[in-house]
Amino acid sequence: MSTEETELDERKIVTFTLGSRLFGIDMRSLIEIREWEEPTPLPSVPPYVKGVTNLRGSVVPVVGLSERLGWAPSELHSRSCILVVTINGRHAGFLVDEVQDIVVIQGSEIQPAPDVEINEQGAIAGLVKIERRTHDTANAEAMCLLLDLDALSLTRQVPDFA
Amino acid sequence: MSDELDEIQGIFFEECTEGLAVAEAGLSAMAAGDASSETIAGVFRAVHSIKGGSGAFGHAALLAFSHRFENVLDEVRGGRIPASGEVTQTLLGAFDILSDHVAAAQGGSEPPADAGMLEQLDAILENKGASVPTSTPVAPEPAPVQEADEFGFTPVAAVIEDFDPFGFEPVAVELDDLVSAEPAELAGWTVRFGPSRGALGNGGEPMLVIRELEEMGAAVTGVDMETLPGLRDLDPEDSYFVWTLRLPGTVAEQDIRDCFDFVSPDSLIEIAREELLVVLVDDPVVPEADDFGVFEPLPAPADLLTLVPVTAGVTGDIAPLEPAPAAAPVVVAPQPAAKAVADKPKAEARPASVEVAQTIRVDLSKLDQLLNLVGELVIRGSILSDRLSPADQERVELPELSRLTRQIQDNVMSLRAQPIKQAFSRVPRMLRDLSAETGKKVILETIGEMTEVDKGVIEKIGDPLTHMIRNAVDHGIESAEERIAAGKPEEGTIHLSAEQKGARIIVRVRDDGRGINRERVRAKAIERGIIAADAAISDEEIDGLICAPGFSTAETISNISGRGVGMDVVRSNVEALGGRLEINSVPGEGTTFTMALPLTLAILDGMIVRLGEQRFVLPLANVIETVQPERGQVKETSPTSEVIELRGQYLPVRRVGELFGMRSLRPAEESLVIIVESETAGNVGLMVDTIDNRREVVIKSLEDNLHPIRGLGGATILGDGSIALILDIDALVATGGSSKYALKGMAA
Repeated sequence: MSTEETELDERKIVTFTLGSRLFGIDMRSLIEIREWEEPTPLPSVPPYVKGVTNLRGSVVPVVGLSERLGWAPSELHSRSCILVVTINGRHAGFLVDEVQDIVVIQGSEIQPAPDVEINEQGAIAGLVKIERRTHDTANAEAMCLLLDLDALSLTRQVPDFA
Repeated sequence: MSDELDEIQGIFFEECTEGLAVAEAGLSAMAAGDASSETIAGVFRAVHSIKGGSGAFGHAALLAFSHRFENVLDEVRGGRIPASGEVTQTLLGAFDILSDHVAAAQGGSEPPADAGMLEQLDAILENKGASVPTSTPVAPEPAPVQEADEFGFTPVAAVIEDFDPFGFEPVAVELDDLVSAEPAELAGWTVRFGPSRGALGNGGEPMLVIRELEEMGAAVTGVDMETLPGLRDLDPEDSYFVWTLRLPGTVAEQDIRDCFDFVSPDSLIEIAREELLVVLVDDPVVPEADDFGVFEPLPAPADLLTLVPVTAGVTGDIAPLEPAPAAAPVVVAPQPAAKAVADKPKAEARPASVEVAQTIRVDLSKLDQLLNLVGELVIRGSILSDRLSPADQERVELPELSRLTRQIQDNVMSLRAQPIKQAFSRVPRMLRDLSAETGKKVILETIGEMTEVDKGVIEKIGDPLTHMIRNAVDHGIESAEERIAAGKPEEGTIHLSAEQKGARIIVRVRDDGRGINRERVRAKAIERGIIAADAAISDEEIDGLICAPGFSTAETISNISGRGVGMDVVRSNVEALGGRLEINSVPGEGTTFTMALPLTLAILDGMIVRLGEQRFVLPLANVIETVQPERGQVKETSPTSEVIELRGQYLPVRRVGELFGMRSLRPAEESLVIIVESETAGNVGLMVDTIDNRREVVIKSLEDNLHPIRGLGGATILGDGSIALILDIDALVATGGSSKYALKGMAA
């Protein structure tokens, strides 16, 4: 999410959780949300690539987002789901814990992210405060980490000759 | 509107590409000693049509260059300049510049510097043209264009009289003379051009044709407005005018006709020497005899009958192309006229009809879609046959349906199959450039360029091929001095070959250069940190290192290669296609790069095997037999390797699960061993749990959304919607248990 984009005033984000953290991605990248289904595992891929799945006739990789960011794998549960997104014309599915909401935020509300401890530089594009739909009025506001999907692209590869 | 224009421009550039290919093929043939008039004429036509289109679309630089180029070609075609080796080389050089011009016009970039080449071309025109005494250079430069206004309207009524076809009275003798004297006749041309009624509405632009004619020295002498209706009935999109133009007699008739290439066939086009009209229509030419012996084109014989009831002598026989003695003597005059008409179009139409191949242009994406659908059809067919008993299959005539489906599939595949020549065609030009840059002389030998390959494969081997050729010239072939010192011919040779082997296309690039310097490769690899300093690796593995990313042994970074991005691109491209790249090098004798590519990228005949929960597809082309091993038939040779004893032979056995890092605990006796044939490791046994069935599968590439994975040829979607991975046997068994060359995956 580059600077030009942040200058746009209003945009929609989809929020979801990974563990206790709340994340958001740009709504425009989202293709569909589907239930977790065990993908077909692939050989010689990093552990965060869970495998491939059939998305309406095309073969789409499924990535454990938590591992991709360098954290412990998500535990699977009944609300685990896959966010199918498009990154530079390629499709990928991200395993997340729970999809929360679609919220409208103002570009000006996004604050730059301080150093977040993840293994992909630049994956967190910024922080934004959003209101949660919850009955717990004391906890109605939450911090949401905006993900830069481009930084999570799967198409870069490093052959190992060592 | 601009979209439409873009589209038409797109077609123009497509035609340019085709034209350039034809021209290059022709020029190459000339360079190889084929100076037949057909070859030269082919080159001329190709350049001519590029020129025509470039004028129409206002690509001034391209037009100017192609025009000068064409002038020289025209002289060569006319035999006024001999097609000597020197001239041919210049023409080849000019062709290269022309390609650059086309690319520049297409990309909207700066046109290439062509001044030097233009001088060379002019020099040819001056010197050679003068050295041949018989030559009468056909004023190729545009004759002074007469200043008519944009539509050539100025001289109206009076001129119309002059050119009214009914206004003259030729007699038989004169016509005869004209016909017989025709070859030497240099009388001026009269061209009448009336765009078809719908031409303007269809986006036709008569101005373009007239402009092109004017370039050959034509002047608009009259406009016939007879058909112009009253203002009340005037449709502004209709075309009502007939222009009359006059051209110098030195212009070749074919050149005039060429201007009308893109004019709709129902337009009125008349080309005549002096006042003798020659009628050019697509329909069979039917001369009509009238009292004055003047004829006009008529659309069809049927019309003639109804329209000209008066001419009793001819009505009975509508094919009066032969001098018909039966025709009544009343109509003496028309006979020679008819002959003139009949002869001319016949003579001129012959080359034209040869050129008009029955082809249509189809958007490649439509073919892809069709192929996808056929692929799905094939899969549905397989599923159906799985679900029905043989008796039921017969009852619903499934075998017949399958046969038809297969025929459709073969046909669709053949639609996409193109000779690999298309990919090879860019090599000669590249070699010329490389030779110029490096000063090395290289001869190209091409074998099997008519081998047909899927269009998708052709498109994707262009880059790898470019890199391999560059690599061969830059690193393989030595300088002339070095070659002579090594007792080799001064000129290096690159063999480029293609052949079909089973379901694969083998493309080889072989040079007779110095071979890979393994010492240097190894040193460089250690320096670059690609291998450890003490790594024990074989010669083949060292050769393979030149495909490692970031590897380059060139002492200096040259313009051509040496940036270390070449060969790893080659390998990843080839692997992305489901192919393999092999390197064979003999020090001092040369290096061979071999690409083994799949024939098609779409459908695979496969055996579906099961391993635990997962299913895999083995390409049936690789499968030799399956064995249910008995106890003791599979033996361990080391803790990590096994062999199977088969009819007295020991073959290595690989557990597919382990190749993929999945542990299979089944004992060998409960597994199946499938003997497969591989190019890399001979016959190998693959151990799987069970075999599901045999089926044709549609290959879905992994790179669409991920990246290629070594050992996998892609994936497919089975009837139940689940995904099965397609095994690439050759890569899989070559990798062996070690994963030295396996991709680790993505950057962290």
